[in-house]
Amino acid sequence: MKCNLRRITARQAASVCLVVLVCADIVAAHAWSLGVTSGDRRLFLHVGNGAVSGSSGTLNGTAGTSGIVNTVQVTVPVAQLGNGTALGMTSDSTQSVSRYGDGNNTCPTPSSQVMVGAGFRRNGGSNSATLTVASPASRVNASGDTIPFTQISWTVSAPGSGVPNVIPAGTFNGGTQTLATLPGNTYIENCHTFSYANSAVRAAGTYSGRVTYTLASP
Amino acid sequence: MTMRASFIAVLASGLLVGTAWANPHRLDDSLSHTVPPNVQMQWLPLKSGQQYAGGMEAWVRVNIRIDTRNWMGRSGRIYMVLPRDEASNIEAVWTTQGRLQPGRLVSGERTLVFAGTIPGATLEDQMQVRLRSNADWSSNSRRLNFHFELDAD
Repeated sequence: MKCNLRRITARQAASVCLVVLVCADIVAAHAWSLGVTSGDRRLFLHVGNGAVSGSSGTLNGTAGTSGIVNTVQVTVPVAQLGNGTALGMTSDSTQSVSRYGDGNNTCPTPSSQVMVGAGFRRNGGSNSATLTVASPASRVNASGDTIPFTQISWTVSAPGSGVPNVIPAGTFNGGTQTLATLPGNTYIENCHTFSYANSAVRAAGTYSGRVTYTLASP
Repeated sequence: MTMRASFIAVLASGLLVGTAWANPHRLDDSLSHTVPPNVQMQWLPLKSGQQYAGGMEAWVRVNIRIDTRNWMGRSGRIYMVLPRDEASNIEAVWTTQGRLQPGRLVSGERTLVFAGTIPGATLEDQMQVRLRSNADWSSNSRRLNFHFELDAD
């Protein structure tokens, strides 16, 4: 920088140089800059068998579905028909290890359990996700006979978890019922063990029906 | 020394002292660029007990080119600065090729990347930067305006 002092006073010269210095700092105010977007909102739900989404509990995998629709069932012995003693139901699920990514053996006996887990990832905000289950009014056999879905209940467990009833026990109501609410960046999971109330004698046959679990966020 | 010469000497020394007083000096690194130019954060595991558990991270390469022509031969310290853009902190951790120092920086702070005599008209390096944050942003996108500043000796 060069200051010409010949025709101006010392005070004027200092002023000019100061102005130039300030301008130089302003001109040099360039910097590297980066646009950053937050992680995508993610919902993850599994009931029984299914693939984990992302690694080690990120729930960051490719969107999609996997696994089979698991079945729970019970055969009522003739001697016990409608005696009011609840009968445990078996499951074809083989899922025992948590989908959380920590290796916990959440469902140690999957042949009588169904693992249910739900995760919600989002950045900021106060929106929550809601886990619901919808059941039809009844199960139906080939002859059109019915058994109300309210005859089926479940208990919950989660060995190794401090909140084994994070998804509560309950009884299907033949409609849609809310099971849990998930704040952002949480994952809940436990095992459901189903039972049939066996409170009345039913016509012979195989009764079937499907319940659907849904995780949704606004 | 004539009257005019002594005045110029006094003024010059005053400017030099003023330069140190004026620390820090913002440096021009407008030729720096990131690859890619924008990034999306990826979710970190939800497991508790880890820093930024449940948060997000992204990786970016930054080709650094700092204009130091006005400071060649001068001694000082250069810092990388990340001004705070919102309440939610961003942590940047980087490695370099060796011209600049690796380090860590959190929103609102600055970290030393060079100390010594400015060797030439430019300082160049390549950084591999990992960005991490919690999932508590006030918006879904933000712009991080890093810059470099010099504390001259």
